[in-house]
Amino acid sequence: MSLSGWEAVFFWVFSVAALLAGLLTIMARNAVHSALFLISSLVSVAALFILLGAEFIAGVQILVYVGGVMVLFLFVIMLVNVGAEERGRERIFNRSAQVTASVIFGLLLAFGLVYALNQGYDGMVKRELREHDAKDVEELRAQIQEQQADEQAKLQSSATGTFRITKDTERVGGSLYRYASLPFEIASVLLLVAIIGSVMLARTTKQEASADDLGPEVLEKQNPESRIQNSEGKAESRIQEPESRMEENL
Amino acid sequence: MNPFFALLLQDTSGSRLDAIKQGIQHPDLSKFLVIGALLFIIGVAGVLSRRNIIVIFMSIELILNAANLNFIAFSRYLRDIGSIDAVAGQVFTVFIIVVAAAEAAIGLGIVIALYRNRETIWVDEIDLLKW
Repeated sequence: MSLSGWEAVFFWVFSVAALLAGLLTIMARNAVHSALFLISSLVSVAALFILLGAEFIAGVQILVYVGGVMVLFLFVIMLVNVGAEERGRERIFNRSAQVTASVIFGLLLAFGLVYALNQGYDGMVKRELREHDAKDVEELRAQIQEQQADEQAKLQSSATGTFRITKDTERVGGSLYRYASLPFEIASVLLLVAIIGSVMLARTTKQEASADDLGPEVLEKQNPESRIQNSEGKAESRIQEPESRMEENL
Repeated sequence: MNPFFALLLQDTSGSRLDAIKQGIQHPDLSKFLVIGALLFIIGVAGVLSRRNIIVIFMSIELILNAANLNFIAFSRYLRDIGSIDAVAGQVFTVFIIVVAAAEAAIGLGIVIALYRNRETIWVDEIDLLKW
């Protein structure tokens, strides 16, 4: 497989965009900026999916990630308000030793992966040449292009007549419902569990008490250390915190 | 010279520079794999170095997305060499996206509960279980 012409240009544009946006995601000081850079990285990767002929996955990526997950991220960023980070008072990275360790680890990983890809790809190209009875890469490319042109000619043309409708999405849907039908059902159960779990996790003490038909004062009596979400409780916990920290240090 | 540009050195007729030019003009499977690996590394660096737990979750999304890119690239490669089960990569990707969505929902629920109890989202201040 290889791209050519405008496809190659778009490949380089979108891959550089994805990498840059990914880097900015982990470098940005403001969490909202991080989320927006992550969105642009995901959209660039969706464009790469289209270049690879996976239009359905590209659509799912944009609908689910950008439309669903990232909006959820933005909501949570708004809920936990971190003003100090934006005004530049807080450090955004861990201690310098850990950052150094992560950079070294990343470089080692990059070196190892690129080396492994280098070594493995040669073997794969050789196998491909053997399977197609081709002598070099050029011949193989010509063979594959011929095959693809044959397949293209058989496809139905679209309404405007400018391109042909591929059968990829049809094939993906078919195998999702036939060969992968059990994992498909398990995925639906997983999503149900995730919905219920996140609702249970995110509720307040008051909501927890009302779900158990208890007043918040009963809950407080049973477990005096639990903090009830009112302004008094918050103030109290802030005062108590330095003392408990000191005790921990001792 | 960067070794990964010289991946297409199979044709011994041209010089090294020609091979690099060829690799840029005709990006193939290996280029997609390298982009996926770099995205993965960026995600790992984000997980290890950031203090904000929400940005750590975003880095995890980046890692999962790199895996998706690899799956799709191999799916295209298998389709082009005429394999029967080339769409398996795309089906896998659908499931990875499902798992990523579930993970984000649960993780952000945990973040909200944590913020209610500890009033912080810095991971180095959440050290209750640290020896």
